[in-house]
Amino acid sequence: MSDSDQWDRLLRLALASDARPEEQLNRDIMNRYKEKSKTRSPYIKRFSIGVLVAVCTLVISVSAFAAIKLISSQQIAEHMREELLAEAFTSSDAVEINESVVSKGYEITLHGIVSGAGLQGLKNPSSELSPEKTYAVVSIAKADGSPMPTANDPEYSEVPFFVSPLIKGLKPWQYNLASMHGAYSESVTDGIMYRIIECDEVQKFADKGAYLAVIGGTSFFSIDAITYDEKSGEMSVRTDYQGVAVLFDLPLDKSKADSAKADAYLRELMKPEATDGDAVAEMARKTVQWKNKFSEGKGTTIPGSVQKVTYDEQGRINYKYGDWNIIIPPDRLPEGQTGDIPIQFSEREDGKVMVLVFTVEDNGDITGKVVEIEL
Amino acid sequence: MDIEELNDLIDQHGKALYGFCLRLMRNKEDADDLYQETLLKAIEGHSKLDRTRNPKAFLLSIAVGLRKNQRRKFSWRQRIAPTVAFNEAADTSYVFISEDSPEDAVLSMELRCKIQAAADGLCDKLKIPLYMYYTVDMSIEEIASVLKIPSGTVKSRLYQARKAMKKELEVDSL
Repeated sequence: MSDSDQWDRLLRLALASDARPEEQLNRDIMNRYKEKSKTRSPYIKRFSIGVLVAVCTLVISVSAFAAIKLISSQQIAEHMREELLAEAFTSSDAVEINESVVSKGYEITLHGIVSGAGLQGLKNPSSELSPEKTYAVVSIAKADGSPMPTANDPEYSEVPFFVSPLIKGLKPWQYNLASMHGAYSESVTDGIMYRIIECDEVQKFADKGAYLAVIGGTSFFSIDAITYDEKSGEMSVRTDYQGVAVLFDLPLDKSKADSAKADAYLRELMKPEATDGDAVAEMARKTVQWKNKFSEGKGTTIPGSVQKVTYDEQGRINYKYGDWNIIIPPDRLPEGQTGDIPIQFSEREDGKVMVLVFTVEDNGDITGKVVEIEL
Repeated sequence: MDIEELNDLIDQHGKALYGFCLRLMRNKEDADDLYQETLLKAIEGHSKLDRTRNPKAFLLSIAVGLRKNQRRKFSWRQRIAPTVAFNEAADTSYVFISEDSPEDAVLSMELRCKIQAAADGLCDKLKIPLYMYYTVDMSIEEIASVLKIPSGTVKSRLYQARKAMKKELEVDSL
């Protein structure tokens, strides 16, 4: 027998287990099973039918491994020091879901959701929670068990995630977390990213139905990830999207739907923002000024920012440097033009102005760079 | 799943599952909890159980996931009330019984404890496939399926685990 075989045999002998579960332990499990079968409430039943994972072939599989998440919304909220929200998640109006999906190497779990009445008793002058909001808890983990990067890791923001409710029948690029006064807090603990999102209360749309979307690779909604059928109002995941794309059906209580309130809310939301006419004019003036300075060559290229652009599978131009992360279709560039083409200006908080420039060669090669404008 | 199906599941796979839980948790109380939670969770996901057609792998995958969560719960409790680790080696319920020669039985008692301690000292990434392979007797492909990693990665992790343990034990003659 070779050394390796001998070692293998030793391990097999040493690590084998002769232990058995005690009879009482197995009886306890049977008893708990019997109790659960008898006492399952209609409320719980409704949600166990209603929670469907609306994904298509982009999802690798709804595997047993993916259905494991046990940490409750309450625990997650507590861990993120949201004690009042944790309390809300114990209310009868909170819905604990704990449904997981594996998508593009990530395990996404929708833990729970609470809004409206569940928060009613918590409203007090010092509380930031509101019954006019909906809160949801999501976790994101690597499917292979490797840890998600923490805020201290350089790769932390390399793969952003957009987590948002979407309302059936409403254009998702218009009505999502970003437009519905949303916010989120996030924490990475033991290799798992936990996110609590909040936005304007969505229960009033319960008769329409809603999803919770999780999109990877972007901080905002992306039509590359989710399709929207204008006729039916249904949404689905795009099979050709390269990143995480998951849609959970949100189990909203249809008895809490309020179409009048919903219509009023939508009218208010879509009202054009009252703009300060002077501020708009000021921005227009500044933009002209920056363009002129740039065309006069009054700018300094940021070292390290000069790099050839890349192209994705759809042929779009990609450029990434620092906070700049640009993806544009090639037809956004003026046809036939070569030389430096300013793509985007950015005024920073310290007053500096940067411009992203694409330099187009005669042979069609494109190089990107960031230039600081001399003001 | 009806009560008879649950009974069958426990009959066929309960021992393997329990052995794995005990190896992972290193004490009876936590192993009992993990075992029970795994089966109850399996009942909830019984439709997936039917689809996988590999109940043992399904149960193990649940146990692995639950254990991750248990570790987090434990770490939170630890800050409040540190507990004392259970010394499994002192528990005579788990006396190793060799199926081979008496020489193996004599040799393995001390070596068994050392090997188990070396295995316990591994990180989860190596320990879990190791226990699946040696404690639960799963194939490389089954382990790959449960952990959602390629078979090559499983082999690599087993290799690394064995190597690390060998070094720990300084078993030069092997």
